[in-house]
Amino acid sequence: MTTQLASLIIAALSTTVLLLIFWPDAGYFWRWRRGLASTKRVLMEDALKHLYDQEYNGLICTLRSLAGSLAIGGDEAASLMARLQELGLVRLHHEGFELTAEGRKEALRMIRIHRLLEKYLADETGLSETEWHKRAERLEHNMTEQAARELAAAVGNPSYDPHGDPIPTPGGKLPPKKGVPLTELEPDEVAGIIHVEDEPNAVYAQLVAEGLHPGMTIRVLEKSAQRIQLIADGEEIILAPVVAANLTVERLAKGEEIKGPFETLTALGVGEKGRVLALSHHCRGQQRRRIMDLGVIPGTVISMQMTSAGGDPTAYLIRGATIALRKSQAEMIQIERLKEAA
Amino acid sequence: METPNNRQHILDEASTLRWEIGENLHDTLLESIYQDAARVSDRVVTRVGEKPRFDWDRTLDRVLTSRWLGFPLMLVMLTVVFWVTISGANVPSGLLAELLIDTFHPGLKALASNAGLPWWLDGLLIDGVYLAMAWVISVMLPPMAIFFPLFTLLEDFGYLPRVAFNLDSIFRRAGAHGKQALSMAMGFGCNAAGVIAARVIDSPRERLIAIITNNFALCNGRWPTQILIATIFIGALAPPALAGLVSAGAVVAIALLGILLTFAISWALSRTMLRGEVSAFSLELPPYRPPRILRTLYTSLIDRTIFVLWRAVVFAVPAGAFIWLIGNIKISQMSIAEHAIGFLDPFSLFIGLNGVILLAYIIAIPANEIVIPTILMLTVLSARMTGIGEGSGVMFELDDLAATMNIFNAGGWTLLTAINLMLFSLIHNPCSTTIYTIYKETGSVKWTLVSSLLPVVMGLGVCFLVAQLWRILG
Repeated sequence: MTTQLASLIIAALSTTVLLLIFWPDAGYFWRWRRGLASTKRVLMEDALKHLYDQEYNGLICTLRSLAGSLAIGGDEAASLMARLQELGLVRLHHEGFELTAEGRKEALRMIRIHRLLEKYLADETGLSETEWHKRAERLEHNMTEQAARELAAAVGNPSYDPHGDPIPTPGGKLPPKKGVPLTELEPDEVAGIIHVEDEPNAVYAQLVAEGLHPGMTIRVLEKSAQRIQLIADGEEIILAPVVAANLTVERLAKGEEIKGPFETLTALGVGEKGRVLALSHHCRGQQRRRIMDLGVIPGTVISMQMTSAGGDPTAYLIRGATIALRKSQAEMIQIERLKEAA
Repeated sequence: METPNNRQHILDEASTLRWEIGENLHDTLLESIYQDAARVSDRVVTRVGEKPRFDWDRTLDRVLTSRWLGFPLMLVMLTVVFWVTISGANVPSGLLAELLIDTFHPGLKALASNAGLPWWLDGLLIDGVYLAMAWVISVMLPPMAIFFPLFTLLEDFGYLPRVAFNLDSIFRRAGAHGKQALSMAMGFGCNAAGVIAARVIDSPRERLIAIITNNFALCNGRWPTQILIATIFIGALAPPALAGLVSAGAVVAIALLGILLTFAISWALSRTMLRGEVSAFSLELPPYRPPRILRTLYTSLIDRTIFVLWRAVVFAVPAGAFIWLIGNIKISQMSIAEHAIGFLDPFSLFIGLNGVILLAYIIAIPANEIVIPTILMLTVLSARMTGIGEGSGVMFELDDLAATMNIFNAGGWTLLTAINLMLFSLIHNPCSTTIYTIYKETGSVKWTLVSSLLPVVMGLGVCFLVAQLWRILG
């Protein structure tokens, strides 16, 4: 009796310990491995990226901004900067620091790898938006130039990452910065989102939760020091200015009215028809290709055929074939309803 | 005129324009391809009097996928398939066993002794290699030759995609694909075939889930084990009138536990290890069509039955030799098998099994079909029983349940051993044929290891838990 209880307790304890150590991603073993990877070189590469970011956004890089961005102490930031100066990658400039030509080249190489990785994670894995940046931060430091080239080819040599940031060319070229922060728009102005900043994470998660993404058209309704009210895809959204500042937009002509709210495929009843207007931005990578390969592209007429006995997948008649789509997929297909006569 | 200067200019211009294309180039391209294709087909294809599309199809679909009739019809259909398989396979299985094991085996032995073969060669080849092969064929071939064609007929007719369609909502909640219902059902016939059947799932994450969890579908090779043990140990607990019902209930409970585990493990995998794999759902519901019976028979017999059987035989041959050798090579007066049993016993008894069972699961890895014959042979060997069985290293089975029971009693079996054996038979590593198939299908050592080790670790854990609770409560 007691031996059995003891062995049960020992088994439970050892299982718990093993799970704590090896639980995917969060386990101590993996954390320890990641800790090993966070070396001086990683910090230096991150510092170069920060310097470039500041430069691209027309800001000045100081020791304080560096320490904040890398989440390290002031002393460590200072020694890091000293080391970078020694290597000829950074030089003093007025009240801050700036990259030398050599440093800029290195920074662009890192940014290229980072954005390629984000594009890859978005398109070729099932990870959610809030994880792309974190993973890319971890993976980017161990990639050779050759691996980066192969990665670029694998995702179709993209020119933008999923947040709307341009990806530097192998030669290190980037287009000039476009657009303004959302906070600069006045009420009634119409603009297209061209970039959603992925740092800090909490702010990005909020933007993702609101469904905001590059390619969306928005109109500002009201603006005050406390909040910005806007309309996007036909839905009203309220953002704090500090959150709104992480969206970069490009002004559009005032007259251009935004459409929506759109109906999605889920709105169709049995036998009803709709014409596809667009595929949502959230439908990406392999899933997007699959749906488009089936013939779901703007202009296709789809009619709803039947719902399964279990209630969820629904069968639609798409270009002569009966295809079952789950509710979560049908929600990503925006349509306009067609009258019965059509 | 092309000068280096204006070539550079063109290249610069091109790379500037690259940023203007935006990220939807592929979408635009695909759209224009479809538009062109539609324009061409509108010009050259005439559609005569658009009739309401396949009225017969729509009616059938409405019945087969309806809220009230969909699930009952599916259950009826599956029950019929299983019933036909089990009852239909009994006779040919018996005939094959009689022919290959009861007639050919003694015949070959007689031939060998006439030819004056040394005892060890005759034992190794005939008692080892031939017998293992004969066993696998006689137990495996008939059910598969019935089950696979039936299944393929339903598939050909267009019913199976509707099953996947109906069941998808349940599988979705476990993070899996509706088509996993099909690979799972196929797994009840043979896990290796089930793993191959997972090809129909075109989404990488869901396909891996289907492959890794296929082992929890109780395969054809494990049903006889379950039925034998349930009849001898569980049925005996009930009054004789109810014995059949109770033991059948126990076997069904094990099969249902397997289905439950399939969902539980699918759910856990899709949220941990497989979170990063791509998931892309789509399910085509092809129009119904009359099945092409001859073609179906041919493809399902050649592609599935013979293919799987061949792999099983290839693995059974060396295992047969191995089993015979460890029963016959002696080191200090004891066979290797007995040494191994002695070594495994303390741990096995602790988790409510015994050394014979664990050793049988290790050496009978090529096919679950030969586990019970191996267990019987090893028990007789280690308990030093005389007058039962065919001699050391020779697998056997008895027709008489009471005699089988006597062997188990001599091996020191209890009700706990029986229950744990039933559990372990459901939850252990797939057979080597399946493991090899998983490797072929996934092309990855990692996923092959996961799908082999995960169930065996779980099985040992479950046996351990049951044994401790049993001893505390009993």
